[in-house]
Amino acid sequence: MAGRKVVADGVIASVWPSFRGRGSLVGRLIRLAAIWFICALILISAGLTAFFNYSTVTRFQAGISDIVRNLYTHTEFDAGGRIEIPELYNIRTDDIYSGLYWQISELDAADRVVAIHRSASLAERELKGPEKLDKTSGAPVYYNAQGPRNQPLRQVALYLRIQDRPLLFIAGEDRSEVDRNVGQFALITGSALIVLALGSLAAIFLQVRIGLRPLFDLTDELGAVRSGEKSRLEGRYPPEIAPVTEQINALLSYGQEVVERQRTHVGNLAHALKTPLSVLLTRAGDSPEPLADTIRKQTALMKAQVDHHLRRARAAARAQHMGERTPVEPVMDELAVMLEQVFRDKGVVIDWRAPENLAFRGEKQDFQEIAGNLLENACIWCRKRIRVTATLTHEAEGMTLLIEDDGPGMPESRYDEVLKRGARLDESAPGSGLGLSIVDELVRAYGGRLHFERSALGGLKAVVNLPANFT
Amino acid sequence: MRILLAEDDPDLSRQLKSSLSDAGYVVDHAPDGEEAHFLGDTEPYDCIILDLGLPKIDGVSVLERWRRDGKATPVLILTARGAWSDKVSGFDAGADDYLTKPFHTEELLARLRALVRRAAGHAQPLLVCGGLRLDPRAARASVNGEPLRLTSLEYRLLHYMMLHNERVISRIELVEHLYDQDFDRDSNTIEVFMGRLRKKIGTERIETVRGLGYRLKPLPDEVSGI
Repeated sequence: MAGRKVVADGVIASVWPSFRGRGSLVGRLIRLAAIWFICALILISAGLTAFFNYSTVTRFQAGISDIVRNLYTHTEFDAGGRIEIPELYNIRTDDIYSGLYWQISELDAADRVVAIHRSASLAERELKGPEKLDKTSGAPVYYNAQGPRNQPLRQVALYLRIQDRPLLFIAGEDRSEVDRNVGQFALITGSALIVLALGSLAAIFLQVRIGLRPLFDLTDELGAVRSGEKSRLEGRYPPEIAPVTEQINALLSYGQEVVERQRTHVGNLAHALKTPLSVLLTRAGDSPEPLADTIRKQTALMKAQVDHHLRRARAAARAQHMGERTPVEPVMDELAVMLEQVFRDKGVVIDWRAPENLAFRGEKQDFQEIAGNLLENACIWCRKRIRVTATLTHEAEGMTLLIEDDGPGMPESRYDEVLKRGARLDESAPGSGLGLSIVDELVRAYGGRLHFERSALGGLKAVVNLPANFT
Repeated sequence: MRILLAEDDPDLSRQLKSSLSDAGYVVDHAPDGEEAHFLGDTEPYDCIILDLGLPKIDGVSVLERWRRDGKATPVLILTARGAWSDKVSGFDAGADDYLTKPFHTEELLARLRALVRRAAGHAQPLLVCGGLRLDPRAARASVNGEPLRLTSLEYRLLHYMMLHNERVISRIELVEHLYDQDFDRDSNTIEVFMGRLRKKIGTERIETVRGLGYRLKPLPDEVSGI
């Protein structure tokens, strides 16, 4: 069975190479339909024309065979054995070249046709006999011949032996009108069928487009998932496609599940390692002993290592995770409320602005990490004021997040340095010292960019570009 | 100064307890969430140090219960999970400060001092407008008993409006009281903050008086209820 299918595919492919390949589905369906239609229509128009021709000619022949029958029933011989001119009452056979003719002839020894009597319409011309004469059956023979004035004639010939003389009765009629009729019929049928074919092809095209609509919808929706506007396929699909979308959704949630599991593992690992590190650090306290100093330095190093590798694991998990969107406003609100409270003694005021419908194309945790670290850094360095501005870029493909403070800022020469792992703006300031490099790593993972400028407020201005759009 | 230390790791607890005692605090220790909740609920602590990864009941749930029961004791959370999502959920539950493990003991002590000092501010009258309550001392506000999470600018706005309860306040007046002098004041600032504030306290509580400004008012059923 399979073998036969392959052969069939091969045959189709050799006839039409694109059936094998990845040609458009619409194109394939329409090409197949077109082949079938064109073949069917050619057959139908040929058949119809042939049938019309046959029935018209048959009706047409009835006239001339009547004449032939009349000829031989009225044929009489006179005493001298000569054939008398039969009396036929048909006005048209009396008018010259009227298009209706008859002729009584006798065959000579060499079977040549010798005319004895002719209708007046023939004038002095003769009608030709058939090319092959069936002398046995006594049935009339119909054939086409050239008449006087080159008229195309349909003729009938009847061979009879009367009183042992080989007589051939011939009648003919101008068939040009019949030919014209048949031609016209073929033309009308042909054009009607072409119109039908074109109409049907258009209908098929529409049908295919509409029929395959769910497939195009699916493509659009998958695109939306890819670009992060949706996290799963939500559209309603016909039963033929529904299993595919179900599988895709299952795949998407599997991806999300894997990410969640990774994250839980990562969190557990962090928890498991960090409490012992806290113990070591607290134990060392601020003792001036060299051992305590070593412990302090080594724990800081271990913490940095743990953080770094946990982030790597997270980033790897993120790679399979697509389709999530995080509204900016609630995250900024939470972070502002929280950090203002943490830095309440300092009286930090975070003035943030973000369009309500702006959404980061990525995970909430990552956005919290990016904005949280930058904002915390600003809180540490500012005098009182922090200004946060999130705007959609002109191309509407990303957002620019500006975080400015009114602190002392930092020299331009250090802008790149602080993004390096473990670098710290000031060793004496609180904070992990990893914050900015974490942010830089995350921003890069999203194909974004982080750089620094001098703020109009006096301090540092962090500029972050991230993928985003409006909801 | 009495302090509750809720931490499950015995080594860390022992060391912290001795450091805190050295610093002059009286320390109670709870090794799990259940005991932490019970102690925090019954004893009058000046501050609570709460590890989020506690056995039996996790730190965030313990904190949520305290806050639901109206406990206002300042809480410093300790977390090994340095992610911002964990910090944010801690603050949503009602934490006042956080510290990520591993930390230096001096830093913990500094944070503690700040929290205790903050909590001991001067008593100021509670502002009330219908279901809205604002405690200027703790800088906390609530609506129908639910704590509100306000940024400082939103808080300032609400505070000013509650001080001038049921009076129409012009936009200019609001801008002047919202910002210090050196802040830039763009024209739509007030609309932005009104929008956010309305989202948090309920749209109907702030009435826009066309051409004049805004007015804070209790809900109709709250008025008739009194």
